[in-house]
Amino acid sequence: MKLIFEYNENDSQHISSIQDLDDNENNNVERLGKYIPVGLPNGLLRKELPLPNVSEPTVVRHYTNISHLNYGIDMGFYPLGSCTMKYNPRVNEDIARLDGFQNLHPLSHEDCNQGSLQLMWELEQDLKTITGMDAFSLQPAAGAQAELLGVMMAKAYFRREHQKQRTKIIIPDSAHGTNPATASMCRFKTITIPSDTRGNLDIYKFGQALQDDVALVMLTNPNTLGLFEENILEISDLAHKNGTLMYCDGANMNAMLGITKPADQGFDLIHLNLHKTFSTPHGGGGPGAGTLGVRTFLKDYLPLPRVIKNDGKYVFDYTQRKSIGTMRFCYGNFGMLVRAYSYIKSWGNNIRNVSKNAILNANYLLSLLKNDFEVPYDRSCAHEFVLSSKRFGDKSAMYISKRLMDYGFHPPTIYFPLIVREALMIEPTETESKETLVKFASALKCIAQEFKEKPDFVKGSPYTRHIGRLDEVAAARKPNLRWTPPIHPD
Amino acid sequence: MDFIPTTDADKQYMLNQIGVKSVDDLIQILKPRLQDKLDLSRPLSELELVNQLRFLSQKNKLLKYFIGAGSYNHYIPAAVAHLILRGEFLTGYTPYQPEMSQGTLHAMYEFQTYICILTGMDVSNGSLYDGSSALAEAALLSSSYKGRNSIFVSKGLNPEYFKVLKTYCEGAGLIITNVLNEDTACVIAQNPDFYGNIENLQYLSEQAHKTGALFIVCVIEPTSLAILEPPGNYGADIVVGEGQSFGLPMNFGGPYLGFIAVKNFLFKKIPGRICGMTTDINGNKGFVLTFQAREQHIRREKATSNITTNVALMAIASTIYLSLMGRTGLVSVAESSYSRAHYLRDKLESVGLTSLNTKPFYNEFIMQAPFGTSKRILSNLLGNGILGGYDLGEDKMLICCTEMNPIKDITSFVSITKETIT
Repeated sequence: MKLIFEYNENDSQHISSIQDLDDNENNNVERLGKYIPVGLPNGLLRKELPLPNVSEPTVVRHYTNISHLNYGIDMGFYPLGSCTMKYNPRVNEDIARLDGFQNLHPLSHEDCNQGSLQLMWELEQDLKTITGMDAFSLQPAAGAQAELLGVMMAKAYFRREHQKQRTKIIIPDSAHGTNPATASMCRFKTITIPSDTRGNLDIYKFGQALQDDVALVMLTNPNTLGLFEENILEISDLAHKNGTLMYCDGANMNAMLGITKPADQGFDLIHLNLHKTFSTPHGGGGPGAGTLGVRTFLKDYLPLPRVIKNDGKYVFDYTQRKSIGTMRFCYGNFGMLVRAYSYIKSWGNNIRNVSKNAILNANYLLSLLKNDFEVPYDRSCAHEFVLSSKRFGDKSAMYISKRLMDYGFHPPTIYFPLIVREALMIEPTETESKETLVKFASALKCIAQEFKEKPDFVKGSPYTRHIGRLDEVAAARKPNLRWTPPIHPD
Repeated sequence: MDFIPTTDADKQYMLNQIGVKSVDDLIQILKPRLQDKLDLSRPLSELELVNQLRFLSQKNKLLKYFIGAGSYNHYIPAAVAHLILRGEFLTGYTPYQPEMSQGTLHAMYEFQTYICILTGMDVSNGSLYDGSSALAEAALLSSSYKGRNSIFVSKGLNPEYFKVLKTYCEGAGLIITNVLNEDTACVIAQNPDFYGNIENLQYLSEQAHKTGALFIVCVIEPTSLAILEPPGNYGADIVVGEGQSFGLPMNFGGPYLGFIAVKNFLFKKIPGRICGMTTDINGNKGFVLTFQAREQHIRREKATSNITTNVALMAIASTIYLSLMGRTGLVSVAESSYSRAHYLRDKLESVGLTSLNTKPFYNEFIMQAPFGTSKRILSNLLGNGILGGYDLGEDKMLICCTEMNPIKDITSFVSITKETIT
């Protein structure tokens, strides 16, 4: 497929899309014409702009055709563990595009923003109800940014409490890479605690590591093995006795809605990925939103502004002096907040059914596959589970994932968590039918069989996508990261 | 409207297959369990949901916008929304499996190219959250690359961006100063600056390089790059900015589109996703995420940043906008914005306001109203459905125009202002 830069058109009709015909009357065009910026002083003007000029029909055809090269939840099953690839309700797209929401300037007067401010305030209340936390920031643009915010707040809190010796963060060996990366961005060191034979955090080693230099414990619950932490109450108890805060990476909240509240498990901070649990679309890698919830004692450190209700009116409050500052220009990914708000309102107090069905689907799919692959931990799973394909040898998880494409499925997450060899992390979500789960399990069983009979064939897949296996090594050896316009001889 | 395809019969079958009586058996280890339903409102049908939310959206009041200050009201061609609503773009995941994601990757490669051409730089990434966090990431990058802890910020940086930079720097133990010395990791300047001024940054760039610091230019209104000299041509080592002007609605502040572009020597240090072209086993051209060893899922605590989810769909939307507008369209947006702003400035001067820009400006400018009048001016404008600018205090107003401000509205703005003063 061509790049947009490679079309040989030179359509100059685009200016018509922004012309205002009223302004063409009464010499207005002449009046404006005298301001065209020719010859700004000191060579401030650009000499050339080598961008394409392609007609609209060609542009639409171009992007439509390249979209066909993509797979999405709309096409089929997307069993990526910890990503929660559930159906993205279309009504949320319409609601997010309502004129009053989409076309509002963020620096507009508060009297003109009451609808959006009310939405933000109510969303915060609902997230508090769901998690048991006392306050939420809707600012972070993603889970990773929320983690960064949470760690910064913990740092500020301990500084105020005269506990600057707390320079370490405990994470499990199954932690998502963002956890230690976030710790580094705030100059914390990480201590990694192994998992035990049941897939729980090793509570004995955890207890030993809990010294007075530990600021925070970052846990995912259920963890990235798809298992509920059986000792969570003990863990948070030990942490709190040590003056250490408990942070919940809420990526797996899809297993806990309406069943348990992270605050009741002892967490002091939690981030929620609205693009996972709360159905906002992934869009090929964002935008998302990573709202951060905290207990009361941390509330004052939240970024500004906060939305508060004053006599029935909603306002932005900038007054809190302990706030760590702000994570972004303005208030957060409002467009994603609308979609999540809409999702929560549509489910209402039945939202427990989301998690119950997610857990049911995962356990059913696990039951279909447990004899064909290794199951590292002999327990019921939560909303996702991890298999190992190590019996098929090195790189088998990669080969299986490529061969799955020929069966019409996007592969699961592979090689994560790091503690399981040849890991395949599978999360079906609640929006998949029994038929799909059965088809997916059959596909995996077929591939397992193919691996025994004709392994080289499996290793050469995929065969039926628009493209064959791509050479990632060559991409790094000979970087080609952009198209370059040909140089015109002057 | 619950989007759960399994029937009661299916669920019973599945429970039998698993070997339990009910889902409760699967979650019994979860503690502590909630006894009652969550205290949320009752579920809504799609019809009820749409009615409620439409009502809520109508509590907002849209105005005629003569304000920028970080978010710009430009025209978005209709085809952008139609294309990004396609399920193939909307509902795909991060392209870790490139054979399933050539659509996203192809568009990403084009996005990276557009950013490089517009900024005059060598390599761009696939997006960061927004312009302010992109600036913060550039500061962190500079500090890590140079092994220095001081950040020099030129005056004229958007104050909200400054707050974000300060927040990130405090987290990382970096200091923001106005002293340029051997501990300076980077020098940051916004162009056009917060007050609309188009700066000649050649001198500042040379000063930065003399002390061994990196020179970072921050572009918050990138339609300016259609007509202004790209920062890559006047010594920028890093260009960061906000892509919202390229086809994204103002959306009350987000989602927006951060970009970062660097000269070749820095590309292995940048955060976020990078797409590269390669071939498949049959020699066909294709795209993959590349240099992933910089990122959190591989390098973990040694990663260049913790960023994972970015704003891929917004990058695709911008790519489509730039393709639809084309070179001539983009230049006409810039010329229209520039000329309307200058026309309004002249008219406001003629009714008694003072123009405070000492340098040439793009589409934003500051006017000084007669003593004690600016609040009344802005309030009267608001009463007529016009957001007249960003109140800088002390009777100073930061005003912006784009192709979305027709002459008749500019004329109303001026006459209401004149009436208020006299």
